[in-house]
Amino acid sequence: MEKGYLSFILHAHLPFVRHPEHTEFFEEDWLFEAITETYIPLIDVFNKLIEDGVDFRVTMSISPPLVSMLTDPLLQSRYIRYIEKRIEFAEKEIERTRHQPEFNRLALMYHGYFANARYIFAEKYRRNLVTAFKKFQEAGNVEIITCGATHGYFPLMNHNVNAMRAQIHVAVKHYEKHFGRQPCGIWLPECAYEPELDKILQETGIRFLITETHGILFASPRPKYGVYAPIVSPSGIAAFGRDRESSKQVWSVSEGYPGDFFYREFYRDVGYDLDYDYVSPYLHGDGKRSNIGIKYYRITGKTDQKEPYCPEKALDKAAEHAGNFLFNREKQIEHLSAVMDRKPIVVAPYDAELFGHWWFEGPRWIDFLFRKMASDHKAISLITPLEYLEKYPVNQVSTPSLSSWGYKGYHEYWLNESNDWVYRHLHKAAERMVELAKTYPQRGENSLQNRALNQAARELLLAQSSDWAFIMKTGDMVEYATKRTKEHLFRFTKLYDDIRSDKIDAAWLSDIEGKDNIFSDIGYHIFQ
Amino acid sequence: MDKEILKEIFLLVLEIIKAFCEILWKKIKGFFCLIWDRFFGVTNISSPERGEEREWGDTGEDTWPVAPEGSRVRAEEPQPQGKREGVVYAPVIPELPEDYGDNRMVLMVRDPECLFAYWELRKDVLGNILNALGSMAHSAKTVLRVYDVTDVIFNGNNAHNYFDIEITGGAQSWYVHTGKPNRSFCADIGFLTPNGTFRLITRSNLVKTPPAGVSGVVDEAWMCIDALYEETPVTEGFGSSESVREKAHKGWQEIIKEGVSSFETSRVSPPA
Repeated sequence: MEKGYLSFILHAHLPFVRHPEHTEFFEEDWLFEAITETYIPLIDVFNKLIEDGVDFRVTMSISPPLVSMLTDPLLQSRYIRYIEKRIEFAEKEIERTRHQPEFNRLALMYHGYFANARYIFAEKYRRNLVTAFKKFQEAGNVEIITCGATHGYFPLMNHNVNAMRAQIHVAVKHYEKHFGRQPCGIWLPECAYEPELDKILQETGIRFLITETHGILFASPRPKYGVYAPIVSPSGIAAFGRDRESSKQVWSVSEGYPGDFFYREFYRDVGYDLDYDYVSPYLHGDGKRSNIGIKYYRITGKTDQKEPYCPEKALDKAAEHAGNFLFNREKQIEHLSAVMDRKPIVVAPYDAELFGHWWFEGPRWIDFLFRKMASDHKAISLITPLEYLEKYPVNQVSTPSLSSWGYKGYHEYWLNESNDWVYRHLHKAAERMVELAKTYPQRGENSLQNRALNQAARELLLAQSSDWAFIMKTGDMVEYATKRTKEHLFRFTKLYDDIRSDKIDAAWLSDIEGKDNIFSDIGYHIFQ
Repeated sequence: MDKEILKEIFLLVLEIIKAFCEILWKKIKGFFCLIWDRFFGVTNISSPERGEEREWGDTGEDTWPVAPEGSRVRAEEPQPQGKREGVVYAPVIPELPEDYGDNRMVLMVRDPECLFAYWELRKDVLGNILNALGSMAHSAKTVLRVYDVTDVIFNGNNAHNYFDIEITGGAQSWYVHTGKPNRSFCADIGFLTPNGTFRLITRSNLVKTPPAGVSGVVDEAWMCIDALYEETPVTEGFGSSESVREKAHKGWQEIIKEGVSSFETSRVSPPA
């Protein structure tokens, strides 16, 4: 009989990037890389676990923008083009490295890796990977939860309840459309908890959320069990807190597993390493060097003299690290269960894209971990937050504290001199959207005005994505984030002016409907 | 010969006087612009956290950063199908409105000790207030007055205390370091005259900073398990007389500051 539980949570999200106006677009590769390196490897791991009869539980948030992109026909066909170019390049690499066995076997490995990605994507799931995750949910192994409609940062829009409500209701409706049932939980974008959310979540039937550690530790009244049991807000929403110890073992740049010298080096991609003329047909139209996805070296150490990657050794390490993680969790559970009068839950959330994209061996580490837990470790079991609530329906009433998982634990990463200019515009646009929704009662489905109002809602939601402020702060790709923010706000403002003056530009509206086509069945009245 | 020298000296003196006058003229003009901008044209955006000084009128806000040569940016306009895109384009970014015709201030919480305020002030409102101030208008400062209104229904006069920040440089936003977790704040922006008269331009919304430590409120039905709050690596060295709350508070302050996650490295994006 287990003494406690581990709740493994993956947050899968990418901002909505889709540019039909260009034949190819650099930032669309974010999705294609994540499909190849994270989503498909995770699907493979889950499928094999199920085939082998290994019982496991994972909670996954798949954000609405990510679901929208994964189900978008244009991006799906572009992914086929992307992966086929990788397969072709891998074939050339097999030929080029034929006299270098230590690289040749890696070229063969990548060829198989890309070919498998193509098979899983195009044939097994007929281009729609969302169906894979839906199937895992139906099998009872994966609990899919929702997120903010466009990953809007709630604490920085908190003076407009309607704007927060729209982010949540649009997300819930989108979830229902794609997963055929109501979501039971929500991943708050950037793990940013805002006490005002409580009542809105209650309206949607969502039962639980995840907060950063101090969201629970600093809650009031003081939670009896710290982060090792949920608390319930006054409106009845259960809040689970992130366990810092298990997070650190995986996340930490200095101490985390992904930095092991035997793991694959992310920053040595052939797109940068090989002769320019040789790789240029596989780069983007601008000819600038970028990742192709074949990386031949291991981390090796703090040196530029990298050694060739050895998959067998890396897998041994992944198995060893899974064992170490489990050993530490068991010790932790043992300690906690000795002082607690119920079974503790250790909540371990991670960005899904860490696994596979950055930490190449990450999906296999998950595979090893779940198999070990199922076979010889009985002191600890995997559980979803929902299952824990079923086992322990009575929990302490306490209000979580405002918090996020960003730098310094609050909002500084999204509110600083690099990005603070966005908020005056975002707030004004949200106010105007509420004004529009109240001024114009809903008309016929296809009236021009109705379409313009719905598009205004889409543009506002897209502008609110926390990713833009985040990128502005990181300092990389700032131009793109700035452009996207301004573009959506500009489109919103023009729509607002056009609707108010009853001069809607039908051709222009059709054009932006084609570009920003997220949430096709949105109803702007959600802002009322 | 002497006359020539005298003439040269005379012309030189004239040049010096001219240069002096020019400097004086620039100073007067600059001072006039300064006064004008402060009272009638709040166009600049800068605040203590923005670092470098900016020129008057340069908002620095909506300008497109200069793209480095060969930078990876793409044409805005639709391209014909099948055509490969050009290497670099001059980005066309729609400019956002400079103002929305509002007279208001919004206060936001950044963290337990810091607030962010932004505002937009209407020129006609400023003009009316300055007219009412009459002769004192020229010596009035623009001030952000921050009130601690914890647990009170604020009516403008019943705050626990307040402090003023002089707003310089035509700023349109400011980071306010209150240093006070778990308190409620409201702010006014207005003119403060040397004799202490404060004339309100606009009042902000109310905000509450989050607590920066574990709660002192304990629910008797759910008595806390102290051991669960000692899971912090920095509790060593604290006196044994310290309460769990104090220990946990100090421990978590350190943990939060060190940055709990390194999640920013896990975003899907190309290497820098």
